[in-house]
Amino acid sequence: MRSGALFAGLLLAALPVSVGSAERAGSSASHRARPLRVMSMNQCADQLVLALLPPERIASVTWLSRDPDGSLMHREAQKVAINHGLSEEVVQQQPDLVVAGAFTTPATRMLLRRLGYPMIEVAHADSFDEIRTITRQVAAAVGEEARGEALIARMDHQLSQLARQSGPAIQVAAWDGAGFNASEGSLYNAVLEAAGAVNVANRPPASTYGRPDVEVLLAAAPTLLVKGAGTGRRAGLQDNVERHRLVQRYWDGARTLTVRQSYYVCGTPFVADAISGLRGELQAAARQVQAPLPFAAGKTL
Amino acid sequence: MRWLTPSLMVLLLLTATASTLAGTVWLSPHQAFASAFSGRADLAGLIVTEIRLPRVVLAIAIGASLGLSGAVLQGLLRNPLAEPGLLGISSGASLGAVVAIYFGFVAALPLAAPVFALVGAFVAAGIVLLLARTGGTLALILAGVAISGVSTALVMLALNLAPNPYAAYEIMTWLMGSLSDRSWDHLALALPFIVPGLALLLSTGRALDTLALGDVQAESLGVPVARTRLLALVGTALSVGTATATAGAIGFVGLMAPHVVRPLVGYQPGRALVPAMLAGALLVTLADIATRTVVLAGAPLNIGVFTSLIGTPFFLWLVMHVRSRTA
Amino acid sequence: MSVLKLDRVTVLRRGRKVLDGNSATFQAHRVTAVIGPNGAGKSTMLNAAAGLLQPDAGRVTLDGADISRLHRRELARRRAYLPQRADVDWPITVERVVALGLAPQLPAFGPLPQRFLPAIEGALASCDVGHLRERPANALSGGELARVMLARAFVSAPELLIVDEPTAGLDPRHAIDAMRRLRARAREGCTVIVAIHDLDLALNHADDLVAIRDGAIMAAGPIESAATPALLSALYGVPVRLVRDSDGTTVRFLSAAEAP
Repeated sequence: MRSGALFAGLLLAALPVSVGSAERAGSSASHRARPLRVMSMNQCADQLVLALLPPERIASVTWLSRDPDGSLMHREAQKVAINHGLSEEVVQQQPDLVVAGAFTTPATRMLLRRLGYPMIEVAHADSFDEIRTITRQVAAAVGEEARGEALIARMDHQLSQLARQSGPAIQVAAWDGAGFNASEGSLYNAVLEAAGAVNVANRPPASTYGRPDVEVLLAAAPTLLVKGAGTGRRAGLQDNVERHRLVQRYWDGARTLTVRQSYYVCGTPFVADAISGLRGELQAAARQVQAPLPFAAGKTL
Repeated sequence: MRWLTPSLMVLLLLTATASTLAGTVWLSPHQAFASAFSGRADLAGLIVTEIRLPRVVLAIAIGASLGLSGAVLQGLLRNPLAEPGLLGISSGASLGAVVAIYFGFVAALPLAAPVFALVGAFVAAGIVLLLARTGGTLALILAGVAISGVSTALVMLALNLAPNPYAAYEIMTWLMGSLSDRSWDHLALALPFIVPGLALLLSTGRALDTLALGDVQAESLGVPVARTRLLALVGTALSVGTATATAGAIGFVGLMAPHVVRPLVGYQPGRALVPAMLAGALLVTLADIATRTVVLAGAPLNIGVFTSLIGTPFFLWLVMHVRSRTA
Repeated sequence: MSVLKLDRVTVLRRGRKVLDGNSATFQAHRVTAVIGPNGAGKSTMLNAAAGLLQPDAGRVTLDGADISRLHRRELARRRAYLPQRADVDWPITVERVVALGLAPQLPAFGPLPQRFLPAIEGALASCDVGHLRERPANALSGGELARVMLARAFVSAPELLIVDEPTAGLDPRHAIDAMRRLRARAREGCTVIVAIHDLDLALNHADDLVAIRDGAIMAAGPIESAATPALLSALYGVPVRLVRDSDGTTVRFLSAAEAP
């Protein structure tokens, strides 16, 4: 099973519910005052809430949002309270609106619904279209439609700029810290493509799900390795492929580009900023490596 | 049977050769042979010398460790269900390896992985052997379940405490066993532990034969039973601990390999050692080929998936068989 | 000519004296029966005599040499020991089980050297188990297994043979058969020590007697002189009458009413 398909499935399943609840929240917003205190229980929804609302209107965001590795809004997150995604915290903080994610546990969501808390559920965004959808959804629910549209417009402008400047595609093999491939249909892959890269790990002979093994790297001979990783290095099994003597011999140093996970983990309108940065990093790295890999010579690429 | 060991060797050699040809990039024997000795950094040469050869050697070393330690434990405990996995020795090793990997010990010193794992294996095996001395089959299996349970709980605790947010995902696949991306560096780290471990285990052969008559008769025949236990314990911890640290926990090989060869050597525990070692190597090498050739829905499968798929029905059959025999 | 001596041997188990300063002498060419009620310490005495149990006090000597000083393999070559209910865990063939008796003489690796084959044949023949040689040893009847185990003990031609309850669970024919074979070994020069419950077998097939109760030796000596009704009564706490006729001696335990 591919993560892209999984996310798409979750999105489809979540859409009718979330759109419905968003409409309800929106219509109630026109009757009552705009929800004053919003609580986000999802790492990605956090970033939308932080972007759309001033700190005084945020009850809390998840503790994950303060992690600079995974969040583009970690500085803003420092200014508001945090939660750990527990329903007890909702009861304690009494927010006017709860923003839950597709990955918030069904039990928590059902409990909150039964307790009568106004709640919207935000799906995971795997494409720019889905980013627009969820941005509008959250903006409508918190009564900040204009600000939401402004964020989308800014992103669209940046994306069209990037599309105009596209050069030749750079062959990369990309995966993230957990060893997942940047598979087709994932936001990571969309980000890479918008930044002007082609992920060879999505084509045969590679399998599309896991990160490519060393044999695949030899066969596909990508110009660069792109590793999504946190800023702080944490011990784990990804070391296994990175420490392989062939990877060290042929891709070490200039041929390896480490990108922050926050670039692609969450779909937010700020993803275009990340893409601009990534494109710069990719082109700078590709310029440095001139000689082709020795074993790529005999191959018809 | 005189032909058993040689024929297992020939089979192993054939399988090992096939293993250097199969995979993402299929090579012809000619290609593989030519490029392995060309010394050029072309695709086939690199794949054979830097990826597949270390992988084959590692598969053989790990399979030999599992098969041999299974045969030794079964002979020592006079119990057909004894096996490093079922006795919780692999879990103990996993715990050691997980602590070494996720708390930065391996990053600081690669040697930490085998050392931590063999300490875990040693502790687990020591407790099980202590408990299994007096009890029968049931006591042994229950002791194994208890050790596995405690180790699994401690692995989960270690993963909870680990700073790496992906630890739980990684360990799930790691525990099913994998040899992908292992290089000569892994071998250089593992063999200095595995080879002495195998030697210690093999040295127990004659004692195991005599132990078929029970501890007391063995002792009366001049077998130092306590020392044999210690040899088996240290040998198992060295070989299985290191194998687990290098390739994860590969289940059931230690159970199956001795049983497959035992009828062919007249059930003598000592004579089963070398064939069981070869059969274990053969099983793991075959399973490793399967991980590279059987691809379901784009995702490569783990070695443990294959060994467990064959091993679990085998285990159940064995449990029924043993029960009907002793009832 | 091996003489085994226990010299004031004391064995403690959890602070309790299982053997209390026992001294006894076991002669070559003779079968010595160790008798006594359940829990008297018979098996413990045999274990100490076999050198498998280090006494807490006293010593065991074989031809004057302290048995605990003998090398483990040398002792194993000179002495054979069969525990109670000796059996085999794997379906190993009878021939190979018998060959295991040669373990102390075998090299650490490799197949069985040819020079041992006559000894194995001899042991198989002496216990009439030659026809069973290819049968798995864990699928034999009780009588067959007992004979195979005796053959296992005989194969190394030991000078000292210690057997714990060789007749337990055997029918009369097989029990008598086992005792005859042990006696035949003794006639060839072996020192044979047998712990035994069946007093009729002991009195008719053994030469000497060691009677033990609560860890203490109550009597020792040739059967003819040592095995008295008084001793046996005291030993088992039941009145005893010995009936001797041309077929041998029979021990008859009496209920209190019948007592003379």
